[in-house]
Amino acid sequence: MRQRDEIVVLTDAVLITCIVQRGVADTVVDAATEAGAQGATIFYARGTGVRQKHLGVLGITVNAEKEVIYIVAPADHADHIFERVYVAAKLDTPGMGMIYMSPLEKMATYVPPEIAARFGHHG
Amino acid sequence: MTEPVIQRRLRYGEFLSAVRVRQRRVSYKDVHADAGSRQTARGLRLIDVHRLLTPYVSVRFFEQLRAVVPLALFLALFQIAALRADVQEGELIAFGMLAVMLGLMLFMDGVKYGLMPFSESIGFNLPNRSTPAVVLGFAFLLGGVATFAEPAIGALRAAGGGVDPLRAPWLHLLLTRYPDRLVFAVAIGVGLAVVVGMLRYFFGWRMKTLVVATLLPCLALTAYAGFDPKLAPIVGLAWDCGAITTGPVTVPLVLALGIGVAAAAGQEDNPLAGFGIVTLASLFPAFAVILVGIGLVGEVPDPALLAPIVGADATVAWWDETPFAELVAALRAIAPLILLLWLVQRFLVGESVKQRNIIAYGVVVAVLGMALFNLGLTVGLIPLGNQAGATVPAAFSAGIGSDPLYPYPIGIGLTLVFAATLGYGATIAEPALNAMGVTVENLTDGAFPKKLLIQAVAIGVALGIAVGVAKIVFHWSILPLLLAGYTVALAGTIWSREEYVALAWDSAGVTTGPVTVPLVLALGLGLGKAVGAAEGFGILAMASLGPIVSVLLVGFWIQRGAQRAARGEV
Repeated sequence: MRQRDEIVVLTDAVLITCIVQRGVADTVVDAATEAGAQGATIFYARGTGVRQKHLGVLGITVNAEKEVIYIVAPADHADHIFERVYVAAKLDTPGMGMIYMSPLEKMATYVPPEIAARFGHHG
Repeated sequence: MTEPVIQRRLRYGEFLSAVRVRQRRVSYKDVHADAGSRQTARGLRLIDVHRLLTPYVSVRFFEQLRAVVPLALFLALFQIAALRADVQEGELIAFGMLAVMLGLMLFMDGVKYGLMPFSESIGFNLPNRSTPAVVLGFAFLLGGVATFAEPAIGALRAAGGGVDPLRAPWLHLLLTRYPDRLVFAVAIGVGLAVVVGMLRYFFGWRMKTLVVATLLPCLALTAYAGFDPKLAPIVGLAWDCGAITTGPVTVPLVLALGIGVAAAAGQEDNPLAGFGIVTLASLFPAFAVILVGIGLVGEVPDPALLAPIVGADATVAWWDETPFAELVAALRAIAPLILLLWLVQRFLVGESVKQRNIIAYGVVVAVLGMALFNLGLTVGLIPLGNQAGATVPAAFSAGIGSDPLYPYPIGIGLTLVFAATLGYGATIAEPALNAMGVTVENLTDGAFPKKLLIQAVAIGVALGIAVGVAKIVFHWSILPLLLAGYTVALAGTIWSREEYVALAWDSAGVTTGPVTVPLVLALGLGLGKAVGAAEGFGILAMASLGPIVSVLLVGFWIQRGAQRAARGEV
């Protein structure tokens, strides 16, 4: 039985952060969703990279306006999403942006009661 | 009978290792230490260049495509469908249009990377580091020199051919023999306008006062010139010049300076600080051009007695041939502006600019773009406008050996509808207007919705162009139109609220982009020639008067609605 003062805390979650040029976020989110991500948070930012200084005149094609995408994924799924996004966002080209993954200690959100019930009480 | 499905067994682990991209772990410490020593991008693959360049170029190209193609198609289709005339030299015009789009794309990018860093730095630093007199002097020079770099100004130089030398002798003289004087007058007018605009920031003058104080002498001078038969033909040109000047170079450069000055004067929070200069920059040049006209009439009592200009030499020097002539013209237009900005940056602001290679790229691209645009102007925009103007009269008047295509009233109606549609379409497509609409909606807290502004301006321009075309077709004098229109605008200005005044007067300048101006100018000249009018100017003047009146009226309507709502609640 689920009690009223209980929070279901999820563990083994990973945060994937992807920073790309303004306008590319949709590509990233599409790739991540296809790879199994449940959702994404996008926010706008500004930033320039070390690499941009080495691109010469081509550097002007890199927009300093960025989009930052947060994707929270289960740990065993994250590598797959990480790869798909890397390929879809063409991050192997200088100036296109970067992606990194960091472990999350815990997360909480709405978990359907029947699913929470299925996994029972741990503590 | 279906074939039995063959099952092939594959270990999931093998599948995964085949599908997965191999990850190689490298410590960021090592990469970081190595990257610091590297200076250039080595090993940039071809695909990288493609990935970087293609989206960048296509976004910018489609921006221009959206502005140019619908207009050009409308003109060409109208000519073919309604007037049953083929577009002459279609391939050449199409090539010219391509040059216009490419040129504008390059030029706008060049301005962004080559000029804006300077003007932002100067606008931010100069007001703090020098005296107001220096700032005003720089403002004057900037306004004047930026006028030369304005793409549409090239159309003026090309406009002389369409003027009847017998009926408008002084106008013809001004355009053919002294076009430099004309451009100088416009430049000085814009320079003065920028100075007054800066003074407004210093002293916080109200736009209303400024408009009335500028408009009254302008109208008085116009009336004086209009009643003098020698000067009358110049009036249309003079007011057209105002519409030409406020383009994609002058406005952002001057605004950058204005924002700096406003900040230094302690009014950075004034949301309407950005408005106003555009207005002045379209009134002052008209004033200056009429003055030049008066001077010219005093100087040359009888143009017919002047020796005709000796025709161009048969041997054309290599720098006068097509690609070089345009390049030289572009250099002459842009070099002074760059030089001015660089000198001020170097000696008055005293800070060197960063990223020199990108600025160099911007300057080169701006010059190339200007050259391409000028080329496209000569072979594409102007011939297309000219042709459309020249064939339109076939709708209502008998040509050589042919009956009019339509009965007179229908033909005239068709022509005016054509003119209005052209104005409406060109305005709707103008990106600057869209941007202004967003600003206005935010500033007025939604009382003046973006859509309403765009519609008001577009209808104003449409009516203005229709009236301008009617002026040429019916051989009206432009004087009563100008006086009546601006009197209404003046009355509206006095009774309207301050923000609507600034808005209405600025919307006039926003609508006349570098594609519309040459097209409409050429259309007017072609039309004027075809119907035998003395000169074909005035359409642009009407096109900028139209939105002033229409936006003021809409402003009134909103104001009254708000008052009624307030009264209803009490």
